[in-house]
Amino acid sequence: MEGPGSVGELTETLRQGGYLADRGLSTALFVALSLDRPILLEGEVGVGKTEVAKVMAAVFGRKLIRLQCYEGIDTNQALYEWDYARQMLHIRALSEHQVTDPDAVDKLFGPKFLLERPLLEAVRAGDQAVLLIDEIDRADDEFEAFLLEVLSDFQISIPEIGTIKAASPPLVVLTSNRTRELHDALKRRCLYHWIGYPAAEREIEIVLIREPGISAALARKVVAAVQRLRELDLAKPPGVAETIDWARTLDFLGERDLANARDTLGAVVKDRDDLEVVLDNLEEITSGAHRA
Amino acid sequence: MPTAPELERVPFTGLLVRFAGELRAAGLAVGSGDVLVYCSALTRLNPADLVDLYWAGRTTLVNRHDDITVYDQVFRRFFLADDGEAGDPLTPMLRASAEAQGALAIPSTEPGEPEPEDEAILGWMASDVEALKHKSFTACTPGELAALRRIMARIKLTPPRRRTRRAAPARTGPRPDPRRTVREAMRMHGEPARLYWRRRKVRLRPLILILDISGSMADYSRSLLQFAHSAARSGGRVEVFCFGTRLTRVTGAIDCRRPDEALERAARAAFDWDGGTRIGDSLDVFIRDWGRRGLCRGGIVVICSDGLDRGDPAVLASALERLARLSHRLVWVNPHKGDDPGFRPSTLGMMVAAPHIDLLVSGHDLASLERLAALLPGVS
Repeated sequence: MEGPGSVGELTETLRQGGYLADRGLSTALFVALSLDRPILLEGEVGVGKTEVAKVMAAVFGRKLIRLQCYEGIDTNQALYEWDYARQMLHIRALSEHQVTDPDAVDKLFGPKFLLERPLLEAVRAGDQAVLLIDEIDRADDEFEAFLLEVLSDFQISIPEIGTIKAASPPLVVLTSNRTRELHDALKRRCLYHWIGYPAAEREIEIVLIREPGISAALARKVVAAVQRLRELDLAKPPGVAETIDWARTLDFLGERDLANARDTLGAVVKDRDDLEVVLDNLEEITSGAHRA
Repeated sequence: MPTAPELERVPFTGLLVRFAGELRAAGLAVGSGDVLVYCSALTRLNPADLVDLYWAGRTTLVNRHDDITVYDQVFRRFFLADDGEAGDPLTPMLRASAEAQGALAIPSTEPGEPEPEDEAILGWMASDVEALKHKSFTACTPGELAALRRIMARIKLTPPRRRTRRAAPARTGPRPDPRRTVREAMRMHGEPARLYWRRRKVRLRPLILILDISGSMADYSRSLLQFAHSAARSGGRVEVFCFGTRLTRVTGAIDCRRPDEALERAARAAFDWDGGTRIGDSLDVFIRDWGRRGLCRGGIVVICSDGLDRGDPAVLASALERLARLSHRLVWVNPHKGDDPGFRPSTLGMMVAAPHIDLLVSGHDLASLERLAALLPGVS
C-alpha cells in the first residue's frame, strides 16, 4: 500500500485500524514515513506505544518485525546466528558419504544455515516491514551503540556472505519507558514523540473503538474513574490499556456501573500500596464517575 | 535526505533557523542536522499551519521529555509573541546570566592552572596528607579544603559487582560455546575435538549518591560533591543528586574533567545551598521521578545527611522503606557519626531511617571517606 499523502489521511487510516492518534503523533509518524527516519516513542506505561507499530504494520499491509529488548541482549539475538547444530550434522553427513564437493565448506556458511534475527529480517524486508524495537531502555548501552550503526545506514555486514543493504529502509519504531535516559547519539538519529495520557473524551472514544460491545455509558464511567485515579498519587498510574481492560472486565461480568468496582480493581490497580490508597478513596472515585 | 532545491520550497527557512537558534539559546541541544530535518519535514507538511509548525518542531528538534516545556515556551514566544518580550530576545538571556552569577560559587582552586604546577602543589601537600586525613571538614580552611579535594580526586571508587545475563568466552564455565566449538571443529575436519565454554560476565552495579546540601551539612557536602565527582570519573554508572528543600539532579553538571569546574556547575544547578532540609520530601521526589523508573534498581544508594529533617517523619519513613525495596543496598553516610564506634542516632530523621538502612558509615573526614570507598565493593 502507498504511503499516506497528508497527516489527516494518516490519522484516518489509523482510525480505521482501530487506533486513535492525536495530531502530534500523526504528524510525527507522517514525517517518519516521508523522510525515512526512525521514530522514538516515549511515554507512560500503557499509552499505546507498542500498539502504534502494530497498527501501522496492519493498515499499510507491512510485516511487523519485533525486537524485544532486555538486559543482556546481544548481537546474536538481534542480528543473525549460524545454525550450529545443522552445520554440525551437515558436516557429519558429508564425511560419512565421502562427498568431495569443493563448495561444501562455502555452502556451510550460506543462506541455508543462517538464522535470521529481527534486525537482519527487517533490513531484508526493507519498506515492506515495520521494525518495532520495544523497550530499548532495557538493553545495555553497548547494544544502543550497535543499534545506532544499524539505524544510520540500514546495512548489515556478514563476513561470510557479504553486506546486505535495505533498498528503502523499513519504518522503525523504538519505544522506551524511560527507565533510563537514552544516549543522545541515538536520539539524534530519531524523531521524538512523547505520548501522554489522552483527555477524557478521547479516551472514551478509544475504549469504544477497541471494545465496540461496551455501552457508551459504561465507557464514560470507567474513563472518569480512571482519570480520577491518575490524579491520585499512585506508584503505577493506570494506562489506557488498563482502562480498556477494566471496561472489558466489567462488561464481561455484566456490570452496568461501578457499584461493584471493588471486586474488579485488579484490572486497573496493580500495586499493593496503590490498592490501599484507592480503597481509601473508592467512594469518591466511583461517585465522581456517577456524576459524570 | 533533503536536497538544497527541495529546501527552497520552504519559504521561511531563515525564520525556522532563527527559531532553532532561540531554542539553542534556551538550552536545548539542537544540532544543524536537526534543523535540516525540521525544514525538510515542513516540505511535506504545511508550513503556514501553526499546528504543523509546532508538531514538526517538537518531533524533530526536541528529544527529551523535560525539554518539551522549554520548547513550548520558546515556541509561544517566537511565533505567537505573547510574552511581551519578543521584540527583545536579549532580556531573558541577560536575566539568566545574572541568576547564574547570583548562585553560590564554590571557592575555586586556581581554575585553568596548567598541569605541571598542579603536580608541584600536590607534592608539597603530600606531607600534610596524614594530618589532613583526620581533620574534620568543618575545621578546614578553604585552602586546606582545596587540597583535600585534590587528594580526594585520587580515591578510586568501585561499586560492587553483579553477574549479567551476557556471557563471555571462558576457560571453564556452565554454558557451552557452540560458535567457538564449531569453528574449532572445522579446523579438525568437523571433528569436535574440544568443547569450549562461556561464563556470565560481571558488571558494576549502579551507584546513586544523594547528598544533603542544607545549612547543617553544607561544609561536608562540598567535600562530598567532590567525592561524587571522583566517583563519577572512576567509571561505572554513577548518578548524583543534591537536596536541601528540593531535589536536583547534578549528574550532568558534574560530568566534566576538572573538579573545580564540575563543582561550580553543580553549585549552579542546585540552588538551595545552605537552606533548610526536607529529607523525606526530597527522597519521595527521588523515588517518584527516578527510582520508580528503575534508576536505582539493583544499585547501591548512598544517602549523605545528618538526618536533621524539618519535614514529616512519616514521609521520610515511607520514602526510605520504598527506597530500600527499590535498591539493592542502602548506605547512609552521617558525618556526625564521627569516629565514635558507639554512635547512636539521635536526630529524629536518623531514628526513623535506622530500620531501613543496610549500612551506616561516617563521612566527616578524608579517612572515613576512604573507608567508605574501600567498603563499597564488599556491599552485597
